[in-house]
Amino acid sequence: MAESAHRIVDEPLAGKVARPMPVILLVDDDEITRISMAGRLKRLGYRVIEAGDGVAGLAAIRAQRPDLVILDWMMPGLDGPSVCEAIRADRELRSSQVVLMTAHDQPEQIAEGLSRGADDFLSKAASKQEVLARVQASLRSSALVREIERTRDDLDRSHRLLSAKQAELESELQSAADFVRAQLPPPSMPTPGVSVQWAYQPSLALGGDLFQVSAWGTETLGLYILDASGHGVAAALRAVALMSFLREDNLAKAVGSFEPGAIITEANRRFPLTQDGEYFTLWVGRLHLPSRTLSYAAAGHCGAFLHSLQGASQWLSSASLPLGFDPTLIFDSATAHLQPQDRLYLLSDGIYEAPSPSGELWGRDRLQATLESHRTHTLAYSIGDTMTTARQWLGGDMFPDDVALLGVEVLDRSAPAKEKS
Amino acid sequence: MQVTERRIGQSIILDLMGELSYANRTTFKAAVERSKRAGCRHLILNMQGVRFLDSSAIGILALLAQSFPATQGMVSLLNPQSYVKEIITLANLHQILPVYASEQDALAESRLPTAG
Repeated sequence: MAESAHRIVDEPLAGKVARPMPVILLVDDDEITRISMAGRLKRLGYRVIEAGDGVAGLAAIRAQRPDLVILDWMMPGLDGPSVCEAIRADRELRSSQVVLMTAHDQPEQIAEGLSRGADDFLSKAASKQEVLARVQASLRSSALVREIERTRDDLDRSHRLLSAKQAELESELQSAADFVRAQLPPPSMPTPGVSVQWAYQPSLALGGDLFQVSAWGTETLGLYILDASGHGVAAALRAVALMSFLREDNLAKAVGSFEPGAIITEANRRFPLTQDGEYFTLWVGRLHLPSRTLSYAAAGHCGAFLHSLQGASQWLSSASLPLGFDPTLIFDSATAHLQPQDRLYLLSDGIYEAPSPSGELWGRDRLQATLESHRTHTLAYSIGDTMTTARQWLGGDMFPDDVALLGVEVLDRSAPAKEKS
Repeated sequence: MQVTERRIGQSIILDLMGELSYANRTTFKAAVERSKRAGCRHLILNMQGVRFLDSSAIGILALLAQSFPATQGMVSLLNPQSYVKEIITLANLHQILPVYASEQDALAESRLPTAG
């Protein structure tokens, strides 16, 4: 091996260096030719690294990352085209700009060189002008490639940062979603003599439709469903704020009554329209268990359906404004009487406004028919099958709006068990 | 959504076309603000060309009703169709925003002397 290591020949242009001088690696085993070409390049203002064979050339490329590599075709050991192939096969080096230098410039040879990885050719007999033109053209390409690589690296870094931030946000969102879900009724009987089942599927990680059923004292069951307009984090936060207002201990202090009309009247006063026009709809019920008398009131919420086994089934809603539309309104309670085994369903509009693939809404009539078809089934089956039927209408699992469905059944301990589950 | 403005006397009619929803509420609110600045006494929202109204838009309309005190003028809805009419009824918007079936009826209301 004539030269086992590369050497750097510096020829700075004193006083003229305003930006980094391009670095050219010259690989040629013929020392005279190499010195001659290096001299020409130095005179053109470039910083030149020299290597005496292909192996030393590859080592210099790895160590110095030159802006341009000029390779002699004919060299002992690794010849020019073989060095080209090694460069293109190396993930770190493959974007290097390579010019093959040869004494012959036959079309077949040029084709072979290009196919084996060269970017351009330079004749050893080239004039000074041609050398300058080809080197400048190759350096322009090299600069563009480097710019693309820097941009790619910047993008990779930004992507990694964004991915980390996204994972952090998703983790926080999941914590918030877990918190919101924890506000929903626990999977147990809230009070003896009453069975409760529910399904809940927010359209995003966090939903603005929430509900609750809990004992208000020893003989009374309180239940409500609310819908915060909008979706996502803001709607969920507002919904949790209204849930806090509707807690039994707070109602005793803030309203001084568990009468649904009084509760909604106070909520209407305390929860005005936001500056963006966001608001709540709300349905509140109070079931006196010994008499099975339900008193209820609604503020723009139409999602309460009483499925009566013996009497007439009915939607328990009345024309009313949502909360905050008119802060001076007084909301009145209405009453209904339940029989054993009657079921009260509270539901969000997201379930009956589920669109079919053609855009037709499922509708309250189809929903009611589905609920009524479960007369001989358990409440758990009814909730599950109603959700399944809504998804079948939707043609998928992802509802465009929050979906909540709560069922409450007044148990009849003397009745036989349901036929199916 | 497209909004076209027509001035008739001291009234401004906004002809709304398309969907009135969260996605295009900025366009709608900007048109309303322009009408307010123009000093109109009666802002009439022509709903005939509105195909869809979401819950967010209902809130904006309610906010508009609250932000247009009777002393400064009035806001009304004109000729809502099918689904939109049903939504307005369900949300009881007609309790806080007058709904007219024809432009003549709405404009006739503009000419009535204001209370007080």
